[in-house]
Amino acid sequence: MIRFFIGLFLRATVVLAGTALATFALLWHAPGDPALAVALARYRAVVPDAVIDQIRAEAGFDTGFWTAFVHWLAPMLRGDFGQSAVTGRDVGPDLLTALSYTTPLALLGLLIGLAISIPLALVATKRPGQWMDRISVALASIGAAIPSYWLGLLLILLFAVQLGWLPAMGARTAAHIILPALTLGLGVAASLTRILRSGLLEARGQAFLPAFHRRGVGAHAVERDHIAPHAAIPVITVFGLELAFLLEGAVMVEVIFARPGLGTFLVGAIEARDFPKVQAVVIVAATLFVTVNLLIDLLYRVLDPRIGERNA
Amino acid sequence: MLNVDRISVRRGKALVLRDISLSLEPRRTLAVVGESGAGKSTLIAAILGLVPCARGHVTWSGAPLGSARPSLVMQEPRSAFNPQLSLRRSVLEPCVAQGLAPDTRRLERLCDGLELTSDLLDRRPFEVSIGQVQRIGILRALIAAPPLVLFDEPLSALDAVRQKHTARLIADLQAEEGFAALVVTHDLGYAAAYADDIAVLRAGKIEEIGAAKAFVAAPQTAYGRTLRDAAFALGALERVA
Amino acid sequence: MRSIMLLSGALLALAVLGPLIAPNDPMAIDIPNRLGPPNPEHWLGTDAMGRDILSRLLHGARWTIGLAFLISVAGLLVGTALGLLSALGGKVVDWGLMRATDTFLAFPDLVAAVVVAGLLGASTGSLIFALTVTGWMRYARVARGIGLSVKSRGYVIQAQLAGLSPLATARWHYLPSLLPSLTVIWTGMFARAILGISALGFLGFGVQPPVPEWGTMLLDARIHMRSTPLQMIWPGIAVVCSVLAINLAGDALRDDLAGQHHAQ
Repeated sequence: MIRFFIGLFLRATVVLAGTALATFALLWHAPGDPALAVALARYRAVVPDAVIDQIRAEAGFDTGFWTAFVHWLAPMLRGDFGQSAVTGRDVGPDLLTALSYTTPLALLGLLIGLAISIPLALVATKRPGQWMDRISVALASIGAAIPSYWLGLLLILLFAVQLGWLPAMGARTAAHIILPALTLGLGVAASLTRILRSGLLEARGQAFLPAFHRRGVGAHAVERDHIAPHAAIPVITVFGLELAFLLEGAVMVEVIFARPGLGTFLVGAIEARDFPKVQAVVIVAATLFVTVNLLIDLLYRVLDPRIGERNA
Repeated sequence: MLNVDRISVRRGKALVLRDISLSLEPRRTLAVVGESGAGKSTLIAAILGLVPCARGHVTWSGAPLGSARPSLVMQEPRSAFNPQLSLRRSVLEPCVAQGLAPDTRRLERLCDGLELTSDLLDRRPFEVSIGQVQRIGILRALIAAPPLVLFDEPLSALDAVRQKHTARLIADLQAEEGFAALVVTHDLGYAAAYADDIAVLRAGKIEEIGAAKAFVAAPQTAYGRTLRDAAFALGALERVA
Repeated sequence: MRSIMLLSGALLALAVLGPLIAPNDPMAIDIPNRLGPPNPEHWLGTDAMGRDILSRLLHGARWTIGLAFLISVAGLLVGTALGLLSALGGKVVDWGLMRATDTFLAFPDLVAAVVVAGLLGASTGSLIFALTVTGWMRYARVARGIGLSVKSRGYVIQAQLAGLSPLATARWHYLPSLLPSLTVIWTGMFARAILGISALGFLGFGVQPPVPEWGTMLLDARIHMRSTPLQMIWPGIAVVCSVLAINLAGDALRDDLAGQHHAQ
């Protein structure tokens, strides 16, 4: 058991180090001079070459890949993400502000997704193969094929442009969150319905269930005591997967709705070639993902001790 | 010649083979007998380098055995064939791998001896009987004229008459081509009839090793005697000897 | 089942033949007729530069679907090779490669692709690299799993003893077992690549204008959403139909293989 935990933590650490390395390698090979970016951030003006050379030496940019990597990584391990290469402002607080916009959006999107997919999956699996099931599968298939940015544009077209019921761009009022969250939620619902449906069907198909029915155990009791725990493990997996889906969706949705948040922060930073901001988003998001996956692996172990390692 | 020099194999913390030494000259047959779980199949895997040896080494005339291209007749005959390929393709694989042109006359002769018709080879492994697959396994092991052949329970899926015919064919071919044969079996009757030497394996160790005739006449160890007497009681020894 | 396969066949044919049946030049600018509604001459109307939208969609099929095909096949080759290497290369190689796979899976692939393509500079080359580098992990996992199970089978040991070359062993003994599962994953990744290409195009990090890639067309159309909303509808429908057709074909293929598996 202890070996299992140590193994998990070791793996998580290696994955994070790998992400940092991949990010740095990308920055190292990206067109543009990182020392120049730092110089611009620090002095907000054109600086003489000697200053840039000095920064290059200070940051270890001229010492080769690995030394530069260590110089680059060390402040981030202390939680210091440096200053924006464009505005010169500290990246950390700005990132937190962006997160404070993205988190409610993601949560609301997840809620909408659950509110749609759970009833749909339950109704669908009451009579597998019947018309309700077919309709929900068809809806989920179509939903999975609709790109979030197009869905967002369609919703803007309908509710903001044609009907004029809801605001679309920005985040000034509370109502501004409705359309982005709906866009995100519909996408979540499509993927969740499929996964929940197959999870429920599998749990219902478990060999021991007919025995309960023969013994006269009520359908509701069976549902509550025996199907629900079996569906729990796939549901936890789903949350891991949906987290990725939510971040991905949020990036696109925020750009479409011009909503401040992690997505606009990232895309804006990439367009401006603002390396400190980009790397901060990547490292923070990767840490978030690795942590969540670590928790999921631990939860698996608690729920079903037979599972040694997920996906191993 | 094959030289196995004090090999030991570890599985987890336990030693499944302990200090096994044996040697085998061309043209000769060594039978390794013992009950299930004695380590017979592990011995074959260790000799072929399919499992790592914790100690000791295996050589063929002083060189690593692998370069001599020994062949193996597996205990599970059907899993030794790729279900997606025709049996002919699998049988000719040793020739293809060594860049030899397939010798069709040799193939026909071996087929005749093993009582296999040529059209069987155009089927897939699961389309022929288990006894046929086992004989096709022997066919593949012999097709490229190897210097050493290892047999792991080669006749287990055959009826008594076929067992005798097949054992005869292997013996005749060995006399003609001079390969060395190492046979792992629990059938002491077969071992006594066809092997020059017999090694008794028990719990990963060789209990005794010596000439087959001498063993049948007078086993050196108590365990050897138990094995022989059990075979006498079953009628296995008289039947062939 | 057959009808779905036909549908996907038609889709691929569209990618190949689309430019040939396009009625007009997709690049021909006609400012006086800009943002025109559907009419007998321009069935789907014209865009902000007066270019024929139908012709642009048909030419765009080659970009969006063609590039997605290329990217999904590149991911298939890279992922399968790494997965097999992981299965057969020994414990250290396996551990290293699987942690690399975890690392690439630690991040949503589309966001990673945005970062990679954006930082390398917007171009078709960056797009292909970004989506391939973020799209090989599923193949690698599955190829490794199957590789590990095939490795211990009798016929692979026989091939090893016979001295069959690694390439021939992979071709004859591993590939037949890998192919069904990898094909199913490939359909999913093909669909994802279409979504990825159009998403990156829409963000401006993918194929660059004036090339009529569907995501890029959406980006152009977005500005004129109020005046000519239809212009924005068409590329979206093209993406949805392509992705849906490929996904349905993939589902059918998977059910078919599961059925065969049960029958055996």
